[in-house]
Amino acid sequence: MNSHLTRIGVMSAVLAIVLLPIYWLVSTSLKSNREITQEGTLYPHVPTLDNYVKLFTQKQFGAYLTNSLVVTFFSVAIALVAGAMGAYAIARFRLPFAMERKIGLFLLTLRIVPPVVILIPVYLLMLKLGLLDSWVGLIATYTAFNITFCVWMMESFFREIPVDLEEAAMVDGDSRFGAFRRITLPLAAPGLAATAIFAVLVTFNEFLFALALTATPRAMTMPRGTATLIGRIDTDWASMSAAGVIGALPIVFFALLVQRHLVRGLTMGAVK
Amino acid sequence: MTQSSRSRLTRRSVLKGGLGLALATTALTAIGLPVPASAAGKKVIIGAFADGGLTPFKQKIIPLAKDAGFDIEFLEDEYGVTLEKWFADAKNSAGQYDLYLLDDPWVPQFGAANVLENLGAAGIDGGDKDWIGSMIDMGYWPPQKGPRVKGFETAAPTLICVPFVGDLQTLTYRNDVYTSGAPKTWDEVIAKGKEGVAAGKIKYPVVFRGVSGNPIVTSWYPVFLSFGGSFFDDKWNPVFNSAEGKASAEFFVGTMKQNAPSGVVEFDSDQEGAAILGGEAGAIIQYSGNALKADDPTQTKVAGKLDFGIVPKQTAAIAQMGIFIAGIPKSAPNKANSVEFLKWYVSADIQAKLSEAGSIPVKRSAFGIAKPGNRLIPVALQQLDAGALPRPRTPDWAKVEELLGIELNKALQAGSGGGAALDNAAKQVKDYLSSVGYY
Amino acid sequence: MRSRKYRLQGAGLDLALPYLMLAPGLLIVLGVLVYPLWDGLRASTKAYRYGSVVADVGMQNYIKLWSDPQFLNALWVTIEFVALSVTFEAILGFALALFCLREFRGIRLLRTILIIPMVITPVVVAIVFRLIYASDAGMLTAISEWTGGGQVQILGSPVKAFFGLVVLDVWEWTPLMFLILLAGLQSLPHEPFEAARVDGAGNWRVFADLTFPMMRPVLAIAIVLRTIDAFGTFDQVFVLTRGGPGEATRLVSIYGYDTAFKFQQTGYAAALFVTIGLVVLALAFSAVRLLRRVDAS
Repeated sequence: MNSHLTRIGVMSAVLAIVLLPIYWLVSTSLKSNREITQEGTLYPHVPTLDNYVKLFTQKQFGAYLTNSLVVTFFSVAIALVAGAMGAYAIARFRLPFAMERKIGLFLLTLRIVPPVVILIPVYLLMLKLGLLDSWVGLIATYTAFNITFCVWMMESFFREIPVDLEEAAMVDGDSRFGAFRRITLPLAAPGLAATAIFAVLVTFNEFLFALALTATPRAMTMPRGTATLIGRIDTDWASMSAAGVIGALPIVFFALLVQRHLVRGLTMGAVK
Repeated sequence: MTQSSRSRLTRRSVLKGGLGLALATTALTAIGLPVPASAAGKKVIIGAFADGGLTPFKQKIIPLAKDAGFDIEFLEDEYGVTLEKWFADAKNSAGQYDLYLLDDPWVPQFGAANVLENLGAAGIDGGDKDWIGSMIDMGYWPPQKGPRVKGFETAAPTLICVPFVGDLQTLTYRNDVYTSGAPKTWDEVIAKGKEGVAAGKIKYPVVFRGVSGNPIVTSWYPVFLSFGGSFFDDKWNPVFNSAEGKASAEFFVGTMKQNAPSGVVEFDSDQEGAAILGGEAGAIIQYSGNALKADDPTQTKVAGKLDFGIVPKQTAAIAQMGIFIAGIPKSAPNKANSVEFLKWYVSADIQAKLSEAGSIPVKRSAFGIAKPGNRLIPVALQQLDAGALPRPRTPDWAKVEELLGIELNKALQAGSGGGAALDNAAKQVKDYLSSVGYY
Repeated sequence: MRSRKYRLQGAGLDLALPYLMLAPGLLIVLGVLVYPLWDGLRASTKAYRYGSVVADVGMQNYIKLWSDPQFLNALWVTIEFVALSVTFEAILGFALALFCLREFRGIRLLRTILIIPMVITPVVVAIVFRLIYASDAGMLTAISEWTGGGQVQILGSPVKAFFGLVVLDVWEWTPLMFLILLAGLQSLPHEPFEAARVDGAGNWRVFADLTFPMMRPVLAIAIVLRTIDAFGTFDQVFVLTRGGPGEATRLVSIYGYDTAFKFQQTGYAAALFVTIGLVVLALAFSAVRLLRRVDAS
């Protein structure tokens, strides 16, 4: 049995299975609708960038991208700050009635409940607050979801860091919070980064709440904007596939740049 | 977990990642930032679902509206999400839209929730004789004719929507197969279609949509109507499982299926469109979407061979009507502008322009213009006069259609048992309607 | 450990510190998640008509669920979908992880490529698969016609559409399974394996006696994580089939969404969602308990 050949065989099979669908998406996005439905070509015979141009001139994909970037940035940043402090408190302090452990468990429970469960009441809440179709409404929602798992992930990072370092700092006259900020936080940087990357992925890709909470290009995010093109009657395949490419490009690019830390973040929770 | 040193995170790589995302996004944003429209004119925010039926409006009428002093913001979304988005918008007075272009079966739901502006009071004349009567009727809640749901028995009908773009089912047929014009009866459709198959001109006499839910119900409906069926009695008891109804269902899942492509159980509009435009099917009953492509050689292999006619009859030649219909939410931020826009839009002048652009208009005068943009338009008027019925005016139509669609699809898969399917569906519909307080 | 923590707590402002640090996160979560959850619970005991509350119906919405054939169907479809997808993902992911355990040229490329499916926006993943399955524009049809065949119908057929959805999920999430299991495999100690090899154990014996038992906790956690996630699947179905044809791919999330928004049964939908939330929580906690017991024994 030639194991080298087997290896090459398996590798090519995996690569083909992963890449062929993506090839088809990109290739379709470079065809005209006529070529897509009438000729069924295997590659674009008359490649065109029209579909992409249309997304930005006739649709508002520029606005969707801006919205996604703003919403993702703020909801991840706020969740990281709030989540890191909360996680540290849970990891390091003992509160009456083991409150900190109960809070941790409670947040984990919230994380497990499928988000779709609270879709309707969140919609009504944002309506009451006048935050429908706005950045703030989306940021608030995503921040809350992000906090539930930021706390959960970062708590385990803080536990790994020896307490002695903080004690030493405090002996040297640092305050409790100062020790956290100057000693613990920098040491937990890799964990913070892994958490942040994970949060960026989840937030950028979120669709369900964007669907419920936004209505116009003022606040529609990329996935939500892409979904305005998924019609089932007279399907505009060309625009839909171009939108798919544009919708996926930023996040795939981001993921590949930070891939090592991404893998660490994704796998860590399960392996520990 | 073993940790190789090269995957240690450095500040630089974090920055690199963040910068990457920011760069990618801003780069893409920069190419495409929408140029802010020179905000001149009277603002009207229109919500619409993406549908080819609105293309002439978008291309020809919106520019005219700009000339007339309106600043139109046209927000398109996917059909499958618009009903819930708009209803939530209106019900909760979110004020995100000035005007919805609804699918007409949605009118009862908006009407029952009392969230749309009274357009009659706003000065739009529902009694204008130039309206296509059956179309303007759909804009009233509660309906002027026919049964009314509980709680609205005595309410005065109010005009809450006005027809926007007309559409209804007509027959599209191959003129080289049906050589003496549009087939008049279902028997003729099948018999001549078989000759066409034998002569090698087509592969199947008919094609339709068999997918469960709205598609199969829409395809079955004109057969049902032409067999003389009616859907509800005046107390909202389902009566579609009458003898006529059952005969139509048996014909639909039996004879029609045998004379259609083998995969028809799984067909939706893309597939049925491909079958007729690709030259495989002899005849089809459909809305105007695919029919409008019949003369365009880039869209069909049988350009010039497709003609239009009124739907075949068993006892009557009645089609289903389904139109775009416009309503203004009470919470519209630019209400006065929207009313003014609607008045402008439904004027005989602009309707004539719409007809020229190729859309089915909503005013009778516009059907008669010298050069309608599409030869389907006069046929549509013939069908309207021969008979075209909207779907029952109930806020629960979506659920009813779904329950019926599931049963019809099962029978279609089996190729028989259409009558029994209707009995089952009738029972489920009755149960559902009674659970939401109809009786 | 315990005493040290007390020692750290200090005095004065430091006493309030834990609460101050917990407060921001908790406040946001309470406002944006917990209050709505409570609101949803309240709504689940009401009957709605045309978007407004018309009656208080107590537990009736919950009782009605279990005699609603469409809910039961959706639940069953969801269970089938989750079970099939997660099983395939676990098997494929494990096999691939074993295969990649030994470093060889190209493994980094493989890992890079495998990241793509799981980071692509789920809405786009669904678009990708619509482009594959579509009978007119689809890749399968194009390939079939290129080789002389006819159109390929996937999304119109109940059975094929369901498996089409499973394939989508397997494509999207096998990589995650793979990465978790690979990390697990790499963290196993070397000594037992070397000893077994010295004793002359074959590949299969090593796997059955060592690898699998040692990997069981990681495998179990990976499966639980995926199962919880898969239960909430929405985006992909919404774009690929929207639950059709018929009810073939209508997961509970889609049925709940339709019930709330399309059929305007807000209270009933709230009851449905609360039930689903409870089912998933019960599943998660019993899985964790089971794991602990296995660990202990």
